Amino acid sequence: MTAPPLLQVRDLTATFTRGSSATRVVQGISFDIAPGEAVGFVGESGCGKSVTARAIMRLAPEGTPLTVGGSIRYRGQELTDLPEPAMRDIRGRRIAMVFQDPMSSLNPVMTIGAQIDDMLRRHGGLSRQAARRRTIELLGLVGIRDPALRADDHPHQFSGGMRQRVLIAIAVSCQPDLLIADEPTTALDVTVQAQILRLLLRLRRELGMALMLITHDFGVIAGMVERVHVMREGNIVETGATDTIFTAPTHPYTSALLAAVPRLSERGTA
Amino acid sequence: MIRLVALRLALMLPILFGVSIVAFTLMRALPGDFAQASAGTTAISAEALETIRRNLGLDRPVWQQYLGWLAHALTGDLGTSFVTRRPVAGELLPRLAVTGELTLIAGLMAMIMGTATGLASARLRGATDWMVRGLNSLLLAVPNFVIATLIVLLAGLYFPQLAIFNYVAFVADPAGNITGLLLPALSLALTVSVTISENTRAAVLEVASQDYVMVARAKGLRRRTILVHYLVRNALTPVVTVTGLQLAALLGGSILIETIFTVPGMGQYLFDSVANRDYPAIQAIVLLSATIVLLVNVLVDITYARIDARVSYE
Ligand SMILES: Nc1ncnc2c1ncn2[C@@H]1O[C@H](COP(=O)(O)OP(=O)(O)OP(=O)(O)O)[C@@H](O)[C@H]1O
Ligand SMILES: [Mg+2]
Repeated sequence: MTAPPLLQVRDLTATFTRGSSATRVVQGISFDIAPGEAVGFVGESGCGKSVTARAIMRLAPEGTPLTVGGSIRYRGQELTDLPEPAMRDIRGRRIAMVFQDPMSSLNPVMTIGAQIDDMLRRHGGLSRQAARRRTIELLGLVGIRDPALRADDHPHQFSGGMRQRVLIAIAVSCQPDLLIADEPTTALDVTVQAQILRLLLRLRRELGMALMLITHDFGVIAGMVERVHVMREGNIVETGATDTIFTAPTHPYTSALLAAVPRLSERGTA
Repeated sequence: MIRLVALRLALMLPILFGVSIVAFTLMRALPGDFAQASAGTTAISAEALETIRRNLGLDRPVWQQYLGWLAHALTGDLGTSFVTRRPVAGELLPRLAVTGELTLIAGLMAMIMGTATGLASARLRGATDWMVRGLNSLLLAVPNFVIATLIVLLAGLYFPQLAIFNYVAFVADPAGNITGLLLPALSLALTVSVTISENTRAAVLEVASQDYVMVARAKGLRRRTILVHYLVRNALTPVVTVTGLQLAALLGGSILIETIFTVPGMGQYLFDSVANRDYPAIQAIVLLSATIVLLVNVLVDITYARIDARVSYE
């Protein structure tokens, strides 16, 4: 790989402290993401995937002290010691994120449109009217019908799948270089899952952004990413090209995860 | 929305009807009546007592008295005071305006103090949280008439130029009227602000842990935007509820506070009316207070629907 990495993570550790006890949940992992590359992170529940994603975004859950060690470089710039205001310019603008549960991820008292507008106005410096036009464009882009009408709806008027589309529209609204999708389909039913994955694939191609796709399900990875990191208990235990991992896993844990995927062959490429 | 309001207003009628029956019978279950009360300690013949009762219709069975009262009430006539022999409505309304003003000022004070301290407590945590919660527990432990008495004493000692007991009518001197009500309002507001403060704190903490706040942070939004549009707007719903419920408590509390600060509101009037067994007056006060509390509840519901779009669809 000759292009300098978009994201370079070295010896990343993440530790939760509660009182006097400290639990290290990410044990010093290293990986690169190249510009425009799609990388999968797969591992069982609780192995530290979400914490890794949040460490990159510097988003500790409210009220829990999370200490991050090691180095995270975005285009050569160290993020771990970046002042908070500078980090806010990176969040959403350079690195955006889609979360697992679309039902609880939208502000219930704001309209859908307003929740895209505030992001556009924050990073793009758009006027009210320009933001509104772009919002409607974005809702159309992620496949919401009658976007101009639906922009004034509240989240409770949208289905789970539609809400995840809105959250994806929010995430890509400022054309980030990297989209972190943390289990974006886990909370959705199977038919909707495939639609959302197809949408992510299309947007990634159209916008040329890198994708960090996190999942516990190897079935989601197939056809979506070029490379896979397999995580277990805070470590990366295996890394490889997606095809190689599927056909010839070297780590027994990877084989076990693969065996747990139902009807893999039937899905083909999503 | 309009249907919701109309429904709520219509629901008030049976409730008020029930309240009127309960108040009517409870009053008459009290020992003594107007005839005895007005006689006081002077000896009076049984016949004289009977004449007074017959003139006021108190000799009839309670249900007949009630139906008579109801028939008049439905036409908007709340009856005549036994004591002053003047229409109760005319006596009550000016006093209601005073109590209403006092309650309104106290309510605004409590809302501002409660939400500000609750928000600071939840957002800043640490020492601020400690202080606010400590102060809240202290205020909760002290009844508001004690607070009122303390305020009267302290103000009298250190700010004698403050005319605490000089109530002036709003039309005569608006500024003097409002400043005169500030101290009574403050002693009323403190206890209620504690409830609002604790509820605001809990609501903000609850909202802060919601996924959509994490999403807002992941969008790189500024802290102020997140605070106003994500935290406060969502925490507002529970806060509006307690504030509405507390208004009833304020109305009750003002009766006591008015007596301490000699504010000529409904409190003094209710006290005198009960002492005199002035049934029509008591009945009117109870009914009006109930109406106000119910109206406030409807107002709370409307506010809900304005804050949270989900409500009007449910
Ligand atoms: N706020 C927190 N406080 C303390 N420990 C936490 C917290 N959040 C996560 N952890 C711990 O960190 C570890 C990794 O959690 P993480 O959420 O990254 O798992 P995950 O791989 O994303 O799992 P899942 O597939 O269930 O989402 C878990 O053992 C979890 O118990
Ligand atoms: Mg997770």
